[in-house]
Amino acid sequence: MLKLEHLTAAYPDGTKPVQDVSLCVEDGQRVALIGANGAGKTSLILSLVGVLPADGAVTVDGLTLCPENLPALRRKIGVVFQDPDDQLFMPTVLEDVAFGLENQGLPAERARQKAQAALDSLNIGALAGRTPLKLSGGEKRMAALATVLALEPTLLALDEPTAFLDPRARRTLIHCLNGLDTAMLIATHDLAFAAQVCPRAVLLREGRVFADGPCRELLYDPALMEACGVEAIGADG
Amino acid sequence: MRPIAEQLGQLTRLEELAGQNSPIHRLHPGAKLAATGVYLLCVLSLGRLQFGRLAPYLLYPVVVLSLAEVPLGLVLRRAALALPFCAFAGLSNLLLERQVLLWLGPVPVTVGLASCGVLLLRALLCVSAVLALAAVTPFGQLTGQLRRMRMPSFCVALLEMLYRYLGLLAGQAGSMLTAYRLRGGSGTGLPVGHMGSFIGQLLLRSTARAQRVYQAMECRGGFTGGSAAQKRPFTRNDWLYLAAVCLPCLAARAVDLPLLLGRLFVC
Repeated sequence: MLKLEHLTAAYPDGTKPVQDVSLCVEDGQRVALIGANGAGKTSLILSLVGVLPADGAVTVDGLTLCPENLPALRRKIGVVFQDPDDQLFMPTVLEDVAFGLENQGLPAERARQKAQAALDSLNIGALAGRTPLKLSGGEKRMAALATVLALEPTLLALDEPTAFLDPRARRTLIHCLNGLDTAMLIATHDLAFAAQVCPRAVLLREGRVFADGPCRELLYDPALMEACGVEAIGADG
Repeated sequence: MRPIAEQLGQLTRLEELAGQNSPIHRLHPGAKLAATGVYLLCVLSLGRLQFGRLAPYLLYPVVVLSLAEVPLGLVLRRAALALPFCAFAGLSNLLLERQVLLWLGPVPVTVGLASCGVLLLRALLCVSAVLALAAVTPFGQLTGQLRRMRMPSFCVALLEMLYRYLGLLAGQAGSMLTAYRLRGGSGTGLPVGHMGSFIGQLLLRSTARAQRVYQAMECRGGFTGGSAAQKRPFTRNDWLYLAAVCLPCLAARAVDLPLLLGRLFVC
């Protein structure tokens, strides 16, 4: 359902954070993108939705990334940014969740109902009328997830979803993600989190795919993880 | 960091107060917005030397805030922040208009002094009225109402984002200042010599953040100017409120009430 073919992304200064990446994500599959800082995880996610210009092909459900297909493709891929403060920009959480729905042309009342339903599905319905300014890190993260889930994407792309979360909020997030049947591409260097949510891992090194396989094999291989600049699970004792 | 954190706290405090459930809070945002508009027009249209005629307008913020159970002191303190800017503008009146208007015993009251006083009082009243509106109406309802009143969508979107962005900017500035002080050792404010790089860094970071926020918006379809604010028709209470604010305001604008009352008592 998501197919990347020889994807190479470049910043205006010529830096290529993603180089010749090819991979497939099947319907409902959860894939962890693992790599050290600067390995190209975030850039890969941004290039999926055309935020970062890239060469090569991105196809989602038969829809290829090109300027004409961009709005439709962005409806299919829901990106949750690393810092939820970037994602939550409206005065209240409910309005923020309804933002994308209204942009899809839903009437305000219907958008509001769907937004509330998305919040309720993550057990954060009570946050609807709150301002994002006053939410805790965990609440912001869940609210940011709701803004994307409300759009019912076919693929969720999450960038470092456990960043800034305390253990309890992290557990809640894991529980929520495991309860979803949407396909996911999760950029993270939280290996324990990746192992609990994703059956498959793609290891990135210097913008290229270094290894691709089951989490239970890759993430516990110290030599492989060391080569990627990440510590294997259990490596710290 | 303390003053920045306090300012941030006050920003969210108003938002919290706006979420209360008093009779004033339950009114239609359009009624409150229109009443505030009429009040502002009346106050601003009074003459620059009509100090006494501003007196009846003191009642509006006091009554509205009392009914809404919003601390008057909080609103007045925030409104007072605008006074130095107005005082600066009024300073020129003091210097340039020295004709004596009246004598208070041996003290001459010049035209400049009177107009400066009117300017300050008018500013205090107007800012208090706007803050009172913000303290009794959730921001989302206000912007939703502005959209329904056909205010250009991009202006409302700018307001919404500015409101959100101010909070982020204050938080960012607070964190940077704390980090600076922890290494600076002085424990006092930021020295002027370091102010340039501090503000430069803050601007660079806020630009980067603005870019990321824009990207997040793009990922969810850009901005087509919608709003989830709930629509509801005006009720009898909304009309009553509008009449209760607008009629006295207009009456005080048309007639010099303090003078009239004074004559009644003198006669």
